[in-house]
Amino acid sequence: MKKLLSILGVLLLGCDPFVTEFEDLSNALMYEADSKSNETYDSGNVKVVTWNIRFGIARFPFFGDSCGDDVILDDDTIEKNMAAIADSLNAIDADIVLLQEVDVSSKRTGYIDQVQYLLDNTNLNYGCYASMWKADFIPSDGIGRIDAGNAILSKYELTDAERIQLRLRTDQDGLTQYFYLRRNILKAKIPTLTQGSKDFYAVDVHATAFATDDTKQQHIDKYVETLAEIQSSGDYFVTGGDLNSVPPGSVTDFCLSDMCDGDDYHTDQAEEYHKEGSYFENFDGEPDILDPLYEVYDSAIDSDDANLPIHLTHGPSTSYEMNDIKYDRKLDYLFTNGIWENTLSKTHQAAWELSDHLPVSAVLNVGGE
Amino acid sequence: MKKIIFCFIIASLVFGETKKWDAHSAYLLPQKRWEMGLFQPFRYGYSETIEYSVHPLWFFVMPNFSLKKSQSDFAGFTSASQYKIVYPTPFLNMIAKEGIMGIIAPDFQMPPMLGLSASWLMSKNMSGVDLTLKGGLDLGFAFGDLDTRSTIDLPLVYHRLGVYYNNWGFHTGLDVQKNISEKIGVLVDADLRLLPGLNGNYSLEHKLLLSWHKSENFRILTGYKFVMGEYPYGSDMRLLPYIPMYETWVPMIEFQWARKKR
Repeated sequence: MKKLLSILGVLLLGCDPFVTEFEDLSNALMYEADSKSNETYDSGNVKVVTWNIRFGIARFPFFGDSCGDDVILDDDTIEKNMAAIADSLNAIDADIVLLQEVDVSSKRTGYIDQVQYLLDNTNLNYGCYASMWKADFIPSDGIGRIDAGNAILSKYELTDAERIQLRLRTDQDGLTQYFYLRRNILKAKIPTLTQGSKDFYAVDVHATAFATDDTKQQHIDKYVETLAEIQSSGDYFVTGGDLNSVPPGSVTDFCLSDMCDGDDYHTDQAEEYHKEGSYFENFDGEPDILDPLYEVYDSAIDSDDANLPIHLTHGPSTSYEMNDIKYDRKLDYLFTNGIWENTLSKTHQAAWELSDHLPVSAVLNVGGE
Repeated sequence: MKKIIFCFIIASLVFGETKKWDAHSAYLLPQKRWEMGLFQPFRYGYSETIEYSVHPLWFFVMPNFSLKKSQSDFAGFTSASQYKIVYPTPFLNMIAKEGIMGIIAPDFQMPPMLGLSASWLMSKNMSGVDLTLKGGLDLGFAFGDLDTRSTIDLPLVYHRLGVYYNNWGFHTGLDVQKNISEKIGVLVDADLRLLPGLNGNYSLEHKLLLSWHKSENFRILTGYKFVMGEYPYGSDMRLLPYIPMYETWVPMIEFQWARKKR
């Protein structure tokens, strides 16, 4: 009987999904650093950073999000990039790090588990991870095996980590959607930072970049709903991520500055009038999509300042070589239902070579109302 | 067309090692008899001591040829040697492309490559069960810069192409087949591939097939193939054939035909 069960188990394991789909709510994967340090919280303020690290490929001309046509970076360069990202995180010295586009087992980045790498090479001790793209093999552009997603790293223990599924794009055919990204919100509790009876949460999000339907609205709505639940429970949160949305008052059309050689936009002959991911008025209200966040919560960078050059966080990776642009829009945000020490909020533009997004950090005034 | 060819080739990796009708035993086809299947190579009994085979569909995108030669009996086993040569470069460059069915990243240009394989096969009937033992050496030569990032990290494929990245490897296996009735037979096999030094250095393949012989000239097979092994990303296993979009295993079905040339 035992043998039969073993054989059955082997056969069932052999039938693991080729592409992993997720329930609306599922557990995140938990991580710990090989050796921990500096775990004690001294009741001081809490520093938070958000960073889309572009799976450690820095400004590599990746085919999917720039004017490049490369797919797989060499292992040595990835190691070098990851070491530089780890150094930057150590220099920022945040208590909580919200990461997007982290690879944990992907062909394109030599199967390095980047969550574990960063835990083992920074002063952060605990992590949790939620896949947004997990497949045995993507049969397109040589992508192959992939597992990429959001991660929260922290000096303090994380518990109750949840992966909250975001709606899939509806502007794709069934086959493309099957092999495409499944974006999510990653939420975790940090018991060490509990304030009296109020729990403390970190919430990480990466909203859709390329949808031309209302998927982005759905993602932001779900994000707002998730934060409202924490707020209504009387608990604290720090949150942030790559919202792939520009602040109110921003330019909304980057099609021409993002255009690659041979592309054609804004003409009658163009196959698509706007470039996917470069246009921020795909549906009514998209330019003001972040208003509900700005209105209810404290933003690390005030909305009045969000479009200032010193707070821009993103530029396509090949824009520097093509148009001498390092960053030209803000897509990355931090919010809290507490209070930021606003004078300490910073967009780390010196790190522009390490990703096509820049880290944004802020310091939470713990106990401030 | 490329999609069809690729699917066909993947399927033929699953189906391509059936033993019934003695494809991978030490027994040769009778002289002038040919056999072929949907996914099985075309085999031909050239003489009483030599049999050759080619995969006709592969041939135009991945030229290949195999020759089996009978040898003197050894320890009571019927023995044969088998030699294979394959040139995979045209096919690999076909699938190193942008967009859908870009299995290898377009960054890579695959150099001319040549695969050679030599095997020793020994077969014996014991109490109505046909047993075949086999083993051999694989060599892979790349005549140019073969980037190690260009591997296809999929079951069945990774270790077959791994020999070009590792330059050499071993294979060994065991086939057992028995006729349950006049019309129905069963085949169970296990094959081990070793690529010492490669990141992902072994694979173990096992299959079970039931075959129904309509006549001497036609049969249908069904069953499964199970693959486990070590890959650059770690250990993995899969039951094949597998339909990704439905996330389910389905039984393989193979049709095979044979005739004797007059």
